[in-house]
Amino acid sequence: MDWSGWATYGVVATVVLTAVLVGAQLAGVTRLDIPLMLGTLFTGDPDQARFIGFFAHLGFGQFFAVFYGAAFAELGQSGWWMGALFGVVHAAVAGTLLVPLLPTIHPRMATERAGPDSTATLEPPGLLALNYGWSTPLVTVAAHAAYGAVLGLLLQPV
Amino acid sequence: MSSQRRVPIGDYGMIGDTRSAALVAPDGSIDWLCLPRFDSAPVFGRLVGGEEAGCFSIGPDEPATPAGRRYRGDTATLETTWTVDGGRLVLVDSMVSEVTGRMLPPTLLVRGIFAQGRSIRVVVQISPRFGYERKPPGRIRRRNGALVLERAGAAMAITSDAHELLTPDRSTSIEVRPDQPVTVVMSASQYGPLLFVPPSMATAEAERDEARWQRWADTLITGPNHRPTMIRSLITLQLLTYSPSGAPVAAPTTSLPEQMGGARNWDYRYAWPRDASIGIAAFLAAGKDREALGFLAWLLHASRLARPRLPALFTLDGRPAPREQELDDWPGYAESRPVRIGNGAGTQHQLDGYGWVLDAAWRLTQRGHHLDSETWRTMRAFADYVTGNWMMPDAGIWERRDGRRHHVHSKLMAWLALDRTIRIAEHRGGAHRQLGAWRVAIELLGEDIRRRGYDTEIGSYTAAYGSRELDAALLLLPAIGLEPKDSPRLTGTIDAVHRRLRAGGPLLFRYREDDGLPGDEGAFLACSFWLVQALAQTNRRTEAENLFEDLLRFGGELGLYGEEMDPATHHHVGNFPQALTHSALLQAGMALND
Repeated sequence: MDWSGWATYGVVATVVLTAVLVGAQLAGVTRLDIPLMLGTLFTGDPDQARFIGFFAHLGFGQFFAVFYGAAFAELGQSGWWMGALFGVVHAAVAGTLLVPLLPTIHPRMATERAGPDSTATLEPPGLLALNYGWSTPLVTVAAHAAYGAVLGLLLQPV
Repeated sequence: MSSQRRVPIGDYGMIGDTRSAALVAPDGSIDWLCLPRFDSAPVFGRLVGGEEAGCFSIGPDEPATPAGRRYRGDTATLETTWTVDGGRLVLVDSMVSEVTGRMLPPTLLVRGIFAQGRSIRVVVQISPRFGYERKPPGRIRRRNGALVLERAGAAMAITSDAHELLTPDRSTSIEVRPDQPVTVVMSASQYGPLLFVPPSMATAEAERDEARWQRWADTLITGPNHRPTMIRSLITLQLLTYSPSGAPVAAPTTSLPEQMGGARNWDYRYAWPRDASIGIAAFLAAGKDREALGFLAWLLHASRLARPRLPALFTLDGRPAPREQELDDWPGYAESRPVRIGNGAGTQHQLDGYGWVLDAAWRLTQRGHHLDSETWRTMRAFADYVTGNWMMPDAGIWERRDGRRHHVHSKLMAWLALDRTIRIAEHRGGAHRQLGAWRVAIELLGEDIRRRGYDTEIGSYTAAYGSRELDAALLLLPAIGLEPKDSPRLTGTIDAVHRRLRAGGPLLFRYREDDGLPGDEGAFLACSFWLVQALAQTNRRTEAENLFEDLLRFGGELGLYGEEMDPATHHHVGNFPQALTHSALLQAGMALND
């Protein structure tokens, strides 16, 4: 596996992914705010949370890039289109498995069963994070496809 | 048309779990419950859907006399009592609100039946329906002592410790002995595993929840006067808050008519930013900052996509409200058609919303809560929007569908928005790029309102620029601060509104002009409470106190208020109970306690 590529381009790909998500949020397309969601795992201050969450997201991005690199090495080939395809699968897994599970471990995210004692302030994202806007799945797919495309383009299949 | 049962709207009691709410008639029938959440299709919809829309009734199966209803203490547990020859029958209804962290279903309805004095026969009928098509259960099973009813992905389990087996859509007579109360439990699931909850466990959970409500109410700050009424209103507001997102639901019902037999029937199972903002003020005043901050969090989340525009209403998840539809085959309450789902007001431009929101932000700031950068950025964006759009006509607070006008109340609320933003900016200190623009705008707007919104002949502000009609929303003028408290313009407006919109006794119409909709409507209860608030804030406390006392009599034995009241019969009309009315009651009560 291309470990030196992974160390460099994992960060680049995650920055691209984050930029697409934050851009979509600022453009009013989705309410999904990944840095805030991750950062509030650690702090209740939204301003600090976004800062912490950004770096946490970089860490997650780097972690997932290992699997992309391993897959390219296993298949013996890479390319932006292959990376983008992996990204679409990654987005589908995130939207259907990971994101809906987040409320179960997130101390500041409500669940669909939340009652009046709930001190959570983040709304549960729901399946495909649809609670954060109808366009959220499309934004998520686009962001992960971009992430995968960057990795597919820059990681060597060795 | 089959003859419909007709329980007066104001006679219903509400129980809930902060995810949905049920309306319980005085005869023990649950005639309204939407699952899994407030804005879902009803599983018991007889209230507006006719007999075929289902109900869940429990009541005496022998001659009995209603002996009153009450909430147990300051809780959400409803108790209905009948007297029978030689005994009493008590039905205790509740929904378990706090299920987090325990093996409990998200919907757990617990109905305890207690006989006192002797054994009493009771009749139970459960007739659930699924979807707006009102379909009966597609599959009926008995598992682990539970009756399981299913259709598509929705399922419910009925458990009971009665000896008799319950069967859907059939009346079952059961015997309740004094030493052996009976509990009937309904748990429900939507696209998830169904949980069977034994009656003893459900009773224990209901009691635990009841104690939780009492502890919550014990810490409410209300001032010395009218505490029980105000606590009931705060509990009602809390019951109408959708806990998973923090959205304030305007009312748990759809299409309860504003006029019997009329067409003014709307779906209120959505969340209005206005209600969230008034709720923030109410909960802050009651010392419940966490609840107030919850509303703000929802408001920020919901408004994110449309920013800087603030839509008039949202779904509980913060999405645009669904398109308005009419359910053609639903008979409606007292044959008031159409029954509507969805709400068409979502696309309206309502300028007043910004004033409510920024006033709430200012109250939080005054209370010592720091607005984080995202919140302050949002508030600034709202103020900028008002700065650029206050001169445009809008649909107004009453969501009129006959075209936009320059509503004076909307202009006043736009002025309030700018005033509060400037105050927040000054409180935060530092340089704010837009401060100069806001100051210019508020000067221009104030001058515009004073010049074009006031009629010297009537001696009052008017409903709209160029109009000679009045609007009861103008009663909020003393709270806004455009005019000093001793201004003749202010007192003139209060008196003119009181005189010209009076509907008998303490009741007021919100307006009397043609709004382009067929039929008429009742007196608008929130306006009466705003009148109390206006009088209290202008040092006319005796008048205010007397009016408030009169209004409290309209809350019935349970202290619940709907949207409107028929001035002739003094029956509640419109969706019930309504958050705006209860918020206005709290504002009035707090003004009297100031």
